[in-house]
Amino acid sequence: MASHGLTYEGCNFLRQRLVLSALSGKRVKIKNIRSKDDEPGLRDFEANFIRLLDKLTNGSTIEINQTGTVLVYQPGLLYGGTVEHDCNPQRSIGYYLEALLMLGPFMKSPLKATLRGVTNDLTDPTVDLLKSTALPVMKKFGIDGEGFDIKVRTSWYSRGMAPGGGGEVVFTCPVRKTVRPVQLTDPGKIKRIRGVAYSVRVSPQMGNRIVESARGILNQFLPDIYIYTDHMKGANSGKSPGFGLTLVAETLNGYFLSAEMLSTPQGQGDPILPEDLGRNCAKLLLEEIYRGGCVDSSNQSLALLLMTLGQQDVSKVLLGPLSPYTIEFLRHIRDFFQIMFKIEVQKPLEDERKGGDKVLMTCVGVGYSNISKTLK
Amino acid sequence: MDGKVKKQKQHQQKHSGPKAEKKKLKKQNGSTEEDERKRNPKAFAVQSAVRMAKTFHRAQDIKTKKHHVPVVDRTPLEPPPIVIVVVGPPKVGKSTLIRCLIKNFTRQKLTDICGPVTIVSGKKRRLTFMECNNDINSMIDLAKVADLVLMLIDASFGFEMETFEFLNICQVHGFPRIMGVLTHLDAFKNNKTLRKTKKNLKHRFWTEVYQGAKLFYLSGMVYGEYQNQEVKNLGRFISVMKFRPLVWQTSHPYILADRIEDLTDPERLRTDPKCDRTVSLYGYLRGTHLKNKGQVHIPGVGDFQMSDVNFLPDPCPLPGTQKKRALNEKERLLYAPMAGVGGVVYDKDAVYIDLPANHVKQLQEEVRPTTELVQSLIETHVTLDAKMAASKVSLFSGSAGLDPTDISEQSGVQEGLREIHVWDAHTQTQRRKVVFTGLEEEEDDVSGSSSDEDDDGSDQENQEEEDDLSTFLKEVRDKSEKATKGSTPPVKKRKLEEMQGEEEVIAEAPAFADSEDELERGEADSEGEGEAERAGDSGHCSKESEEDSDDEEDGDEDDESMEEEIGADDSDEEEEQGTFKWKEGLQQKASAAFLRHQEAAPNLRKLVYGSVVEAEDSEEEEEELGGLFRVNRPQKSKKVQADALDCSHFNPDISHNWELEEMLNSIRDCFVTGQWEEGQDAATLLKEDEELYGDFEDLETGKVHKGTTGEQDQAEVKMDDEEVQKNKRLEKKRRLKERFDTEYDDGDATYFDDLKEEMQKQAELNRAEFEDMDDESRVQYEGFRPGMYVRLEISSLPCEFVTNFDPHYPVIIGGLGTSEGNVGYLQMRLKKHRWYERILKTRDPLILSLGWRRFQTIPLYHIEDHNGRHRLLKYTPQHMHCGASIWGPITPQGTGFLAVQSVSGVKANFRIAATGVVLDLDKSVTIVKKLKLIGYPYKIFQNTCFIKGMFNTVLEVAKFEGASIRTVSGVRGQIKKALSTPPGAFRATFEDRLLMSDIVFLRSWYPVSIPQLYNPVTSLLLPVGQKDSWSGMRTVGQLKHDLGVRNKPSIDSLYKPITRAPRHFNPLHIPKELQKALPFKSKPKLLQPKGKVPRDLKRASVIREPHERKVAELLRALSTVHHYKKKVAQRAHHAKHKEFLQQKEKDEEAKMKRMKDARKKLYRIMGQKDQKKQRSSLKGTPQDD
Repeated sequence: MASHGLTYEGCNFLRQRLVLSALSGKRVKIKNIRSKDDEPGLRDFEANFIRLLDKLTNGSTIEINQTGTVLVYQPGLLYGGTVEHDCNPQRSIGYYLEALLMLGPFMKSPLKATLRGVTNDLTDPTVDLLKSTALPVMKKFGIDGEGFDIKVRTSWYSRGMAPGGGGEVVFTCPVRKTVRPVQLTDPGKIKRIRGVAYSVRVSPQMGNRIVESARGILNQFLPDIYIYTDHMKGANSGKSPGFGLTLVAETLNGYFLSAEMLSTPQGQGDPILPEDLGRNCAKLLLEEIYRGGCVDSSNQSLALLLMTLGQQDVSKVLLGPLSPYTIEFLRHIRDFFQIMFKIEVQKPLEDERKGGDKVLMTCVGVGYSNISKTLK
Repeated sequence: MDGKVKKQKQHQQKHSGPKAEKKKLKKQNGSTEEDERKRNPKAFAVQSAVRMAKTFHRAQDIKTKKHHVPVVDRTPLEPPPIVIVVVGPPKVGKSTLIRCLIKNFTRQKLTDICGPVTIVSGKKRRLTFMECNNDINSMIDLAKVADLVLMLIDASFGFEMETFEFLNICQVHGFPRIMGVLTHLDAFKNNKTLRKTKKNLKHRFWTEVYQGAKLFYLSGMVYGEYQNQEVKNLGRFISVMKFRPLVWQTSHPYILADRIEDLTDPERLRTDPKCDRTVSLYGYLRGTHLKNKGQVHIPGVGDFQMSDVNFLPDPCPLPGTQKKRALNEKERLLYAPMAGVGGVVYDKDAVYIDLPANHVKQLQEEVRPTTELVQSLIETHVTLDAKMAASKVSLFSGSAGLDPTDISEQSGVQEGLREIHVWDAHTQTQRRKVVFTGLEEEEDDVSGSSSDEDDDGSDQENQEEEDDLSTFLKEVRDKSEKATKGSTPPVKKRKLEEMQGEEEVIAEAPAFADSEDELERGEADSEGEGEAERAGDSGHCSKESEEDSDDEEDGDEDDESMEEEIGADDSDEEEEQGTFKWKEGLQQKASAAFLRHQEAAPNLRKLVYGSVVEAEDSEEEEEELGGLFRVNRPQKSKKVQADALDCSHFNPDISHNWELEEMLNSIRDCFVTGQWEEGQDAATLLKEDEELYGDFEDLETGKVHKGTTGEQDQAEVKMDDEEVQKNKRLEKKRRLKERFDTEYDDGDATYFDDLKEEMQKQAELNRAEFEDMDDESRVQYEGFRPGMYVRLEISSLPCEFVTNFDPHYPVIIGGLGTSEGNVGYLQMRLKKHRWYERILKTRDPLILSLGWRRFQTIPLYHIEDHNGRHRLLKYTPQHMHCGASIWGPITPQGTGFLAVQSVSGVKANFRIAATGVVLDLDKSVTIVKKLKLIGYPYKIFQNTCFIKGMFNTVLEVAKFEGASIRTVSGVRGQIKKALSTPPGAFRATFEDRLLMSDIVFLRSWYPVSIPQLYNPVTSLLLPVGQKDSWSGMRTVGQLKHDLGVRNKPSIDSLYKPITRAPRHFNPLHIPKELQKALPFKSKPKLLQPKGKVPRDLKRASVIREPHERKVAELLRALSTVHHYKKKVAQRAHHAKHKEFLQQKEKDEEAKMKRMKDARKKLYRIMGQKDQKKQRSSLKGTPQDD
């Protein structure tokens, strides 16, 4: 009776596999996790992620062998509710939050997750970025309503830069029974650019310097640019110093493209000048705009997942070039849900100046319904 | 009155005169009914505002109730045949009705109705008839797949239990259309009783289905058939019927199998007749899209993984789009393979023509089926051909070489098809060569193209799949190969030698002769006699297919040595194949390609998914990993990539230098400040507006303003061609219309309308999106769409399914959604059916029909307390809902279910025990049952008490420290601490002092675990004729009854005569302190009962002397006399006084009368005086004047 499981190798894309497993109810076995590595097996942050998943579900079984190179995950039902979790400082909260964004709408009870750890680091999308881009994407799919928010808590500490961490984020998400199909094909033109330049445990001037340099580049395109400076002092500023910039471009049709840049963590590599950071970040945003699409590159997989889990109707999304992570995600979707996307490349016209090729993704949803939600 | 009954005078209608006039007038006026309101306005006036509001409210309520939640219309363009289930108790005329309907639609006679019968009934409609036998299993299964139910009712008998049972089953599993059909109406001799019965049955039927449900009357039989006209009418009703989509059916794919083939290797069958079978099932896909390799449930058998799905040409195609009203004779197709009719049977890649010689003579009196066969054969040939051509273009344009391994493996039947069109070419249909197609393709164009096409048809299949036919053909081929080896020139390599052999076979016979061979085979199959034949086969094919592709060849005893070489070749080649090249460094490719702006854009799909064939190729590599879903990632990149950093960031392209002006320019138009498209630019929009609204006439001045753009337009038009102008005009019109619409229509568009429109749009999009794709690739994106005729292959069906197959029982393949294949705890709302006589007991096994499944499970009943606690119930409530928790298959919430206690046999009583709905799914249970722990005090201090007997160890007590306890008399307390001896004793405090006779309770809730029994009802696996005798786990009661076990009741629970011991009360003890404070008279000392009165206080009784007694006697006598005299005197006095009073009253009256007269006289005189005076004064005045 128990459905056949899937088997994978290697620790890469662990989150995707576990999240899809939890959503589809299929058992997943991951072998050879860093088996050739000097330190074989799961890392702390991965174990920490599995622990978070365990907190969110009921009845899931997790088996890890002694060396940690084999993981068998039999998913349970997604429970949700109020969850508090101390994230491992090896990865930022974004790492955990990306998975929560995918699982959040399909819980039994509305999720209120309090995550503590590193809010901003270089490897993962920061909390600010997810807040400004992932949430609007989900809203397009009908996941909306009271208390759908990511909050960087301001009560007694908020931002925590790598490597020390010490930030706190509250993610609340309502529960949905079904996800509605979408047609996101026309991105529209960018009407405004907003951003946050944050600095913690450094001179408050840093923020202004970042803003100055970033505006220098972006003003060539658009006058409507506003970059907030967010300086944190004392207890609110976490455990490590640092600064960074998150830029978000909003289009006329309500889609968001974003870019971000951070200072190198304390004691790791060469320090970066705030001016350079601002400039580079602005260029990153231009790159992102060049890629274009209705969903920015870091949320491609989220959008594709929600399309897959939609009703049995055609959904379309225009994306920029697919990131390697997304490509693997597409393969995983096919493994778990037997859904293949129709991928069409839209080349820009000759005289059009709208960046590079776009990819139109089309699929028919599986008709997924939230089986955790209680019927009253 | 002379015996004759007096005839009443007949009414004579007046034709003239006033009465007739009046009537005529009335008639004229009466015809204008709408005048009623005018004529009698008072009757329609508002009498009460409240009442009017109420009626309005009610009317609105009824109106809104009629609204259904709009759903996206997902019916495909060519819908599957409508499933018509004919239900009814035995001997009611089900088969006769089906036969008549089939005859009505197709003009063919079918004597034996066996399994589903599909017919083409009209230009846009096909019907599948299925007879439901009198078994609750079949009834449940068919109710789930039925679109229309013809419910036959024997009018001469009335309703039977089965009818009501079926109706209730339908109600639970979504209500399909139900049409009642009354039969046996000729049994009524009396017309009046007939009418009465009809009416009664109709009304009863209406209460069950809905008011006004159609009930058909079949009045009588003519030569064993129903009357033609009536059947024709029924047919018309059926062919215009509309259906509302049912939730379960539209969200799950399902197939009502109309053909079943056993594909198991005959050799395996010979060695182990009980081995698991590989079976292919055929049928129209209904419901929703079916994904390949998904999980399915076959009710009555169990859950299975589909090893393969593919679609076949429609055996019963709808006629083309010719514009004519009626169907051509040749288009009136009939397809019923289980009944041995249908002639043409389609396989994955072959067409079988079933021409049983004896069959045709016996059953089909007409020659028509034969012509029909030929006709459809020709038709299919053409369509397939076209399809192949189409698929060739689209599918292989971008992809690298595909290996047609599977084609040749799957069957030799392909030749049947291929022969028809490309049969002169040396068809490479030898099975295992296909692995090397990469080579073949290059070398041999003609065959390559054809094999390719087959390939894509079968590319998703596993290599395990096998055709029993192919095994047979193979044998023939092998033989002939030996014979002809060397005689024909070698096509290319040694490997192909086998093919030549086969080619030879083909060359020997013309196409149709060959297909006839197969035809015979098909016939043999259908008769189930093919097994012996198959057993004779070498059976190597399936064996090979199970092994890896290299080993594949080994099975051939003939050319083993050669094959081994080939095998080696094989593996080498496989690596070198172009197909695999893309795989190398896929990941690098991924990044590289995308960084190059996806220059290899057309290959994007391949980059992501690989070509679809690869899925099977990787199978062998990952065989040991288990499961059917495999990672489609090349080996090398796997190693590189597997342990990389898990990060969703997409690193920017280094080649872009954002310092450069041209780079910056490349994204200028992404901003609002950039250039806009023609249609959206503000300037052009303004211009267009001017065009639309530029012309106006100033009414005040009478001046006419003309849009200035006219001339400009003309100038432009000169340059543009006609087309542009036309487009512009159209565009303009459209915009005008749009604006008009928004202005005038928006007002009354409700939320409901908006929703409906949205759904409509989505439906259109769904249809349009994949419309222009060919089926092969379309299937990959959407899955197999409903309406397709598909062939499923299931590899491990129990052998009983095949050996005990009975076509009278429906074989349904129901697709399961995500995670519906798992098992867990289900919480449901359940109500005992009001017609079921007994209540249900917790922990008694019950058979549920939920989703596709029928299974036995052990429910626990519970009810929710006011605080949300789920308290276990021993029995279901009589007339109320209660909760039920079971261990069973995960099924989406909101799914209805029904419960029966047993499915075996036929009982007189109503069998449906309960119905309900799934509320919640969980992996844990929250049911608790009440547990009272009892203890006894063994030492009592003031309010503290030592209690024993409640627990057994100190640890147990520790767990309950602080818990509240209570005595029977209601004294509350708390557990304080465990005592060391005796074990389990504890100290507790109470609000009052206990007595030694008190009993102490601890009320607690104990979580109950649900027994994990999930036992699918495997009724289809039972031997033929015993299929309705499935019995699962028995209830405790049944077990005891069957085994003759009788429980010895506990002595305490036996009833005994109640004897009450006389109550003995202890004396009241008042403490001394309290006594002191008491008032004097309440002191217990004084309250004590008094002793005897002392003699000195007692009074002596008086005893009279005789004399005294005499005196007393006399005195009493005297006083009596005196009393009497006094009484008499008083009476006399009373009478006298009364007389006096009367006299006095008389006198008084006389006096009053006298006085009255006197007064009267006096007043008269006074009046006269006054009058006189007045008169004189009146007279006096004129005198004065």
